[in-house]
Amino acid sequence: MKRILGALIALLGFATSVCSQADVPILSGALAFNTSTTAGATSFTPTLAPVLVAPVGDHWLFEGRAQLQGFFFQQNGTSGPYTGQFFATLDYAQVDYIANPHLTVTVGRFLTPFNIYNERFSAIWIANLQDSPIIFTIGTRTSSASNGGMLRGVLVERPNWLLNYTAYFSAASTTENLQAGRAAGGRIGVFMPNAGIEVGASYQRFLQNGDFNVAGTYFAWQPPQIPLDVRAEYAHSPGGQGYWLEGAMHIAKSRGTSTWLSRLQTVARVQQYFKGTPTPQDELPAADVNQFDFGLNYYLPHDVRLNGSYGRQYSSLGNANIWNVQIAYRFLFPAWPGEHK
Amino acid sequence: MKTWFTILFGTLLLTCSLAMLAQPQDQPPAVKTPASTVHKKSKTNDGEQRFQANCGRCHNPPEAISPREVKAVLQHMRVRAMLSAEDEKLILKYLAP
Repeated sequence: MKRILGALIALLGFATSVCSQADVPILSGALAFNTSTTAGATSFTPTLAPVLVAPVGDHWLFEGRAQLQGFFFQQNGTSGPYTGQFFATLDYAQVDYIANPHLTVTVGRFLTPFNIYNERFSAIWIANLQDSPIIFTIGTRTSSASNGGMLRGVLVERPNWLLNYTAYFSAASTTENLQAGRAAGGRIGVFMPNAGIEVGASYQRFLQNGDFNVAGTYFAWQPPQIPLDVRAEYAHSPGGQGYWLEGAMHIAKSRGTSTWLSRLQTVARVQQYFKGTPTPQDELPAADVNQFDFGLNYYLPHDVRLNGSYGRQYSSLGNANIWNVQIAYRFLFPAWPGEHK
Repeated sequence: MKTWFTILFGTLLLTCSLAMLAQPQDQPPAVKTPASTVHKKSKTNDGEQRFQANCGRCHNPPEAISPREVKAVLQHMRVRAMLSAEDEKLILKYLAP
């Protein structure tokens, strides 16, 4: 934990020293408290996830996110006194060189860009349901992060569609809090902003534990006329394959949170997972799993969100009910005080 | 169990306090650009549409982004959402007119 805090403070200090007043770094992220009950076993998870973003000029950017998290559970599963511990992880700490919209070069520790859930929907203040999809570890295994280099950008830009890409390489690391797998891969996607549709595919060659291929596809649809979000992913690895499909809708005619009812969001997700040949440390279920989740999110003023969800998991290893309740406060402010000029 | 109630209560209190305290300090009306207000004023604004299409496809926008925060937010989104050159220009105009 000291290392993580030290790295963030050092990054902030460095950013502070090199940034001009116009390049004000921001501190963002979330403070959350989550309670989860899975098959009768209850756990509590307080989390602080600070994000530091520090631009330097028009082309350089430092970004970092850490998770300071506690995990408390009953010693005997569903009975006995509670025990637990706090731990810290560094999700990413990267330096970006934004050459132009077609090319950004990233070095450091970054979220593995396999499909889109890990990079875009996994943050605790963004995820509609607090449990990650079952197939989440396919393509993002070991830590969800990669240590190495990445190229990304918009390959082709047309009025009605964009073709974007990502290519990366990661070195293996077993250093505490900085774990990563040795892998290389890429993602290509088409985004149609007028229709609110996005489709893409990912590929990864995992270069340890006996090399193997991992592939996936994703789809997202956000119709402009109604406050609906549809997202889906499919992923395949030797260890297993599966998909998830999620729909989330605000109780309103249009997007926005201007009325108390429009602040309410309903969420539903279905998942299926099919077991393959287990590979070391793939963190995938040991049996086929079917699961559905239903959730209600309420967006309170001042960027506070309440989440509640119920899920039912069907597996040959045992069926289970999964309950989650969370309150999250999302913050965003300049890293130091000052006036706008 | 008492400890857990204390932790729960403390976290809730801290969360609510931060939420209440952050707004007045970070949001002097003359400086901040309340995204929701701008939304109402210019429904046909290209920048608003681009903001919704690119940023809103993953998350709700924060309640307010001050002009001092715009550059960092936009740079972050350039990398994360892979904004096109035109998107970036229009969103900048929308957030910091």
